[in-house]
Amino acid sequence: MSTEYPAFRYPDEIKSLLMETDDLVFTDGTRVTPEQIWHFMTVTGPKRFPFAFSTNPAFGHQLSRDVTLISGIRTTYLNMTGIDRLRKFVRNGTPLVVVQGGITSDLYRAAGCIPVGPMFIRGWIMNTTEGREYNNANLAGAALLEEARQNLSFECCNLIANIGLLKTRNLPIAAIAPCLCSRCSDMAFAVEAYRSESEKIPSYIVDYPSNYEWGEWRVEFLKEELHSLAERLEKISGKEVTDADLTAEIKLENKARALSRECEQIWWSGKVPPTNSGDGGTAHLGLMGAFDFPVGNQILQETRDELQTRVRNGVKGYGLVDDPSRLFICGSCVIPNPNFVDKKGGVLVGSDDAWSCICMDVKESGDPYENLAEAYASLPYERSTEERAMWTIEQVKASRSDGVVFMYNWGCNYQSAVAGMITDIIKEETGLPTITIEVGELTRMESLEQSQNRVESFIEMLRK
Amino acid sequence: MTLVALQKIRDAVQQRPGEIEEEKRKGKIIVGWVGYLIPEEIIHALGLIPVRLGRGGDERLVELGARYISSQNCAFIRACMGMFAENTDPYIRGADAVAFDNACMQVYRLGEVSKYYCKKKTLFLGVPRDPASPSAQKYFRHEVEHFTQKLEDLAGKKVEPEELTGSIGLYQNIRAAICELYHFLDIGESPLNWKEVGEVVHAGYYLDKTNYFSLLQELLSEIRSLPVITAPNSNEVRIILSGSLIAPGDVKLSDLIEHVNGNIVSDDLWSGLNPSLNMHIDNPTIMGIADAYMNRIPHYTLPCLDKDNDIRFEHLKAAVLKTKAQGVIYHTIRYCDSATLKTTGLKNRLRKEGIPLLEIHTEYSGSDVEAIRTRVEAFFEILKFKDNPEVRV
Repeated sequence: MSTEYPAFRYPDEIKSLLMETDDLVFTDGTRVTPEQIWHFMTVTGPKRFPFAFSTNPAFGHQLSRDVTLISGIRTTYLNMTGIDRLRKFVRNGTPLVVVQGGITSDLYRAAGCIPVGPMFIRGWIMNTTEGREYNNANLAGAALLEEARQNLSFECCNLIANIGLLKTRNLPIAAIAPCLCSRCSDMAFAVEAYRSESEKIPSYIVDYPSNYEWGEWRVEFLKEELHSLAERLEKISGKEVTDADLTAEIKLENKARALSRECEQIWWSGKVPPTNSGDGGTAHLGLMGAFDFPVGNQILQETRDELQTRVRNGVKGYGLVDDPSRLFICGSCVIPNPNFVDKKGGVLVGSDDAWSCICMDVKESGDPYENLAEAYASLPYERSTEERAMWTIEQVKASRSDGVVFMYNWGCNYQSAVAGMITDIIKEETGLPTITIEVGELTRMESLEQSQNRVESFIEMLRK
Repeated sequence: MTLVALQKIRDAVQQRPGEIEEEKRKGKIIVGWVGYLIPEEIIHALGLIPVRLGRGGDERLVELGARYISSQNCAFIRACMGMFAENTDPYIRGADAVAFDNACMQVYRLGEVSKYYCKKKTLFLGVPRDPASPSAQKYFRHEVEHFTQKLEDLAGKKVEPEELTGSIGLYQNIRAAICELYHFLDIGESPLNWKEVGEVVHAGYYLDKTNYFSLLQELLSEIRSLPVITAPNSNEVRIILSGSLIAPGDVKLSDLIEHVNGNIVSDDLWSGLNPSLNMHIDNPTIMGIADAYMNRIPHYTLPCLDKDNDIRFEHLKAAVLKTKAQGVIYHTIRYCDSATLKTTGLKNRLRKEGIPLLEIHTEYSGSDVEAIRTRVEAFFEILKFKDNPEVRV
C-alpha cells in the first residue's frame, strides 16, 4: 500500500517578504530578482524537482516549513539551482573536479576549477531526468547505488561508492583530485579502482600527513603536495595560479568561513533555537559557497542578520517543541533526519564534519601555499582522535548540547573505528549522554526506521 | 617427517615468551609493532627487543575487539584490538611500547584506539600514500628521523653507527634467507609447504634476531642437503596467494587449498614474502633505512594511480610467470577495503595477461568454509582443464 503525501507549497502570504530582499548577484554578473526566486520556488522548482517538495516524513531533506525565514528560502533556491550553475560552468569550459571534504576549495577555485563532492556524480545523473516524483527518485537513487557498488566493491561506503559511477557513465568531470585527509580511507581506493581500468578522467591524489603529532616537515610536505596539485589543475584549466590569485581566493573564502562562524555563534547564543534543524547550520554554504562564493557570502550575510533579529526577539524555530533536546552530531557525511529530530522533541545544534573546516583560519599574508598547508594540517577533524575529541568537546559546550550522536555510514572503516573512543572521551569529560549509530541510508529515501528508532529513543532518554 | 631445523624453530617459538619475561627482568625494553614500514633495524640497533604483533583466525578476539574499535573494521584489526583488550598474549602483555605505521589507515586507528583504552606507550610512524613522489621520500625521511628520536628516548641512548650497521646486516641476511626459502617453493624443491614456510617467517616476528638467523641457516642447510624432489604431483594446482594479510593463526584458507590439492607456490602478502623483497639499504644510516623502506614493494593499502609504474602489479605478474602458477587466489578479509576495492581492477588486468584470479572474501569465522571450498574447487577444476580443447570451461 502506498501513501501519497501532498506536495509542499510556499504560502502566497510570504511573497511580499521575499520581495523586500535584494537581487542575488552572481560572479558572472547574472542577477536574479526576488520575483524570479519566487517563481522558481513555487512554479519551476516543483515541476523540475517534484521529489524535493515531497512531504513524505521519511524524506530527510524536506523543505523547511519555517516560511518566514526568508534567508532560508533563498538558501534553498541556491541549493536547488546549483545544478544549473554547474551546467553553465561545463558549457563555458570551466573544469569540474571531484574532491572530498576535509580541505577547502581555495586552491581549486584559484586554479579556475570548480570542486564538487562525490555526491555531485549521483546528483548530475539524477538530474539528467527532471520531473522525478519521490518514489521515482528513491528507486533511481537506489539503482545508482547498486551500480556504483558493482563497479567498486559492496563494502564501499554509500558516498564514496559514487566514484564507481565514473566507470560506466559519461560525466563532465575534468579531473578527480581529492585530498586524502584523515577523514576517510575509502576515497583513495575508490580513485585507484577507477584509475586501474580507465584513463578517461585524469586522477590525482593530494596526500595528507596523517599523524599523531604536529611537525614542521608535515606542513612542508602538505605545502609541496598543494604546489603539485596547483600544477595539475593549471594543466586542466589552462589557467596559471599566481600567488595573488590564491591569496584573493583565500580572502574570499575566509570571509565565507568567518560569516558562517558568526551565524553559528549567533544561533548558539539564542535562549531558544532561532531556527529548526533543517534551517540550522551554514557550514556547507560557507565551505562550498554554492559554487559561487560572492553570492554565497551575500546569503550568509542575510542569514546572519535574520538570525540576529530572531535571537534578539526570542523567536523559536518553526516546528520545534519548547525547550528541545539539543543534539551535537559527530561522524561524517551523515546526520539524522532533521525533520524527524524536530518532531521527536530534539534539535540539531551542530556537526563536527564541515564545521572543522569553517573553524579554520588561513593567514592572508605571506606564502599562500604555506598558509593553506598550515591551516589544513591543523584542522581539528583531521588531527589525532584525542585532539579531535577535545575540540569536539569545546563545540559541544559552546552549543550547549544535551547529548552527542556519533553517526557514520555502513562501510566507513575509518570514522566507525573511533566512534566509541570519541564518545567515551566526550562522556568522560562532559558527563553528557552519547550514542553511536551506524546507518546505511545515505542516498536512500526509505527503510530508515531502524536508525530513526535509535535517534528517537535517545531523544526520549534526554527528555526524561 | 618434520625437518630437524623446523622443529628447532617451533621449539624456540614455544620458549620465546619465557625468554622475553627473563629479558624484561634484566631490564630489556620490548617494542611491539604493527605495520609494514616500521624500521625494525633501528629498534634492534638500540638494544630494544622488537616483536611484531597481531594474530588472525580467532573469531572470539574479533568479537572482543569490536567492542572497542568497530564491527566495520577488518577482522585482523578487530582481532588485534581484542588482543590488546584481553592482554593475555605474552608479547602484547610484555610490550613496553607499541609502534604503528600508517601505511594501513586502519592500523593507525588501531594504534589510536589501543593507546586510549589500553594505556600502552604508543609511537606512530607517518607514511605517505604515494611512495614514488619526491616529496613523499623527503617526508618519510623526516618521519623515520622523528620515530628514531622517540625510540632513542625509550632506549635512553642514541643509535650508534656500528650497531646500526650490524643490525642492517643481520636483517639483510634474514631477508635473503627467507627469499631462499621461497625460492625452494618456487622451483618445486621445497620439503616445506607454503604453510610451513609461513610458520618460519612468522617465527621471525618473535625470536631473537641473531638466534633466528642462525636457525634459518640451519634450516636452509638441511633443505640443501636433502635429495631433490624429481616427481612433482601432476594433479596439484599451482597457486599464488595475494591480497589481505594472512596473519599467524589464520590457517583457514591455506588448509582448505591444501585439502583440495592446491599447492601455494608463493605469495605477495604483507605477512609473507613481500617484506623480504626489494630492500636494499645502500647507506647504513637512518636516512638510508628510510629510503630503502620507501622503495620496497608498496604496501597494498597504499593506492597506486600510475598504471605504467605499478610495482606491486608487476611483481605479482612476474611471480606468476616465474613460479608457473596457474592462477591467483586473492584473499580479502571482511572490511579490508584496501584489498576489496582493488579486486575488480586487478582481476581484469590479470585476465588481459591470461592469469585467472579468484577472490575469496572471508573473515575468521568457520561458517563459510564449505562455501569457500566449493569456490576453490570450482576454480581448480577450471584451471586444470583450461588448456584442454576437449573440455569446455
